[in-house]
Amino acid sequence: MKRFIIAFIAAYIFMFAWGWLLNGVLLKDVYAETPNLWRSQSEMMSLFHWIIIGQALLIFAFVAIYASGFAGGGVMAGIRLGVLLEVAAIGMRLAIYAIQPFPGKLIIYGSASGLIEMIIVGAIVGAIYKPTAVRAS
Amino acid sequence: MDWKKFFIAFVAAFGFLFLFGFVWYGMLMHGAHQEVPTLLRAKPDFPWLILGHIVMAFFFTMLCVRFVPAGGPSGCAMLGIVVALIYAGADLITFAVQPLTTKILCGWIVGDLIQFAIAGAIIGAIYKSSSPATRYVPNS
Repeated sequence: MKRFIIAFIAAYIFMFAWGWLLNGVLLKDVYAETPNLWRSQSEMMSLFHWIIIGQALLIFAFVAIYASGFAGGGVMAGIRLGVLLEVAAIGMRLAIYAIQPFPGKLIIYGSASGLIEMIIVGAIVGAIYKPTAVRAS
Repeated sequence: MDWKKFFIAFVAAFGFLFLFGFVWYGMLMHGAHQEVPTLLRAKPDFPWLILGHIVMAFFFTMLCVRFVPAGGPSGCAMLGIVVALIYAGADLITFAVQPLTTKILCGWIVGDLIQFAIAGAIIGAIYKSSSPATRYVPNS
C-alpha cells in the first residue's frame, strides 16, 4: 500500500507538471486559434479543482491496473501498460475529433504528447511499485 | 496468445462500442449535446469515428487479454470499469476547459462506465484461453 501511494504521488506530480508545460505553455497558441471551443481563463481557474480531481482519478486508475495485473514486470511492464492505454485513448481522441471541430494539429500534438506522458507515467509507476514477493526476494 | 479468439473478441467489442456509442451519445444524449452547438460539427465525420472505435476496441481487447488471459467476463468487466475511470478523469479535465454542461459530463461518465464494463465482459466471455496465464507475475 505504501508503494502504491508513493507511485501514485510521483506519477501525479509528473502528470500535473507535464500538463501545465504542454497545455499552459507549449500549446497555448494552438488553443488560441479556436477560442469558441474553450472556457475563458477566469472560468477555467474557477473550475481548476476538476482538473486536479480528474488527473488524480486517472493516475489512481493507472496505478490500480498496474498493481493488479502488471506488477512484477518493472519499468518495461509499466511502459507497455502506458502505451496500451494511451493508444486506446488516441482512438477515443479520433472519435471526439469526428464530432468536435478541433484543428487536426491539436489531435496530432495531443496524441504524441499523450503517448510520451503515459510512457513516462508507466516508467515511474513500474520503477516504484513492486509487489511484495519481488521486494522480499 | 490465441489470435483467432482475439480477433473475434476484438470484432465483437468494436461492434458493441460503436452501437453503444450511437445509441447513448448519438441518440439518448442528442438533446444534451444540442445545448452546446458550437462545440459540435454539423455532421459527424464518420471515417474518423469508425477508425477511432477500431483503434479503441483493438487496444482495449489487447489490454484485457494481457491483463486477464483466463479471467472470464467478470475479471474483464472489472478491468473495463477501472479503464472507464481513466476516461472519466479525462472527462472531468475536459469539463474544466470546455464549456460543457454538467448534464453532458454526467452522461459521458456514466456512458464510459457502462460501455467499458460491458465491452470487457464481452471480451472476457469470448477470450477464455485454456493456456496457462501469461500475465505479468513476479518471478520469486
